[in-house]
Amino acid sequence: MRTTIIQVSAVLAAILSLAGSSAQAQSANITATATVYQAMTVTGARTLDFGNVFPGVAKSIGVAAATSGRFDLTGQNSANVNLTFTLPTDLVNTAPTADLMPIGSWTGCRNATNTTAGCTSFTPSGSATASAFSGAGALFVFVGGTVTPAANQAAGTYNGTVTLTAAYF
Amino acid sequence: MRRCVLLLAFALTTATQPLLGQVQVIGIRDLAFGAVIRGVQTSVSPSDPLRSGQFYINYTVGGRVRLRFTLPNALARVGGGATMPITFRNGDAILQGTAPGSPASSLNPGAVSNEFLLLPNPDANVWIGGRVSPTATQASGSYVGTIVLSVTVF
Repeated sequence: MRTTIIQVSAVLAAILSLAGSSAQAQSANITATATVYQAMTVTGARTLDFGNVFPGVAKSIGVAAATSGRFDLTGQNSANVNLTFTLPTDLVNTAPTADLMPIGSWTGCRNATNTTAGCTSFTPSGSATASAFSGAGALFVFVGGTVTPAANQAAGTYNGTVTLTAAYF
Repeated sequence: MRRCVLLLAFALTTATQPLLGQVQVIGIRDLAFGAVIRGVQTSVSPSDPLRSGQFYINYTVGGRVRLRFTLPNALARVGGGATMPITFRNGDAILQGTAPGSPASSLNPGAVSNEFLLLPNPDANVWIGGRVSPTATQASGSYVGTIVLSVTVF
């Protein structure tokens, strides 16, 4: 009788140890990626200058004009970059009266070199315009527009600010 | 008596052996930091819909799920010559069942193990973010590293 009891206990112990092994494991991989770029610079290189304007006479400056606005950018060679503008709706008289003169009909052109010959036209706006740096890490952006002085526009010097924001993508 | 012992062992085996917890893990999306600038730390949140890394896990039977990440501490430049530190913090991972309205659980991917009761539905997604810290003189180029998720159901 004693021998039989020991044999049963051994079998039970073996069964219980096997019943505890119910875990299953699996693994999978993903990759973490990053691309290091050099820091970007954006420089306001030239003022958009309408010169003398006359009451009631709209005046436009095109991107190819000698007084068009220009931004010079440097960044990672051949990297993609989004261009976004903050544009005024009026120029403001620097005189104490702070008269307003509407400005709009913006035009833009971008190029890998500092010339408008062969440049790519676009419309500056708050929406991103996709562009790219040249193989040498350069990008030039030219800006034009139209001012519309009123018939009774006050004399004076009118100013406004055009802001270009560039971001890699 | 011997025959009785053998019959008893067989009965206990079939009655007490639980169904095995079956589990499947799939890598869905890479953790993509994109363009990073020298000297500027860049982070990706686990809730970023485009850039966070993503795993899908599917399990059929079991009481608990254990998640364990194997994380790099640096990304290696493709082509060699440089490494870039990468770090992970508490809250840089999220576990959420696929059923609508499933609650999201925040995880510490660096923990030795994250253990949960299984969700009512048999599958879930795990998202992971992190941060890279390029030096001011970090070499330009692409950097990569491997993130491993191990899942145990028991």
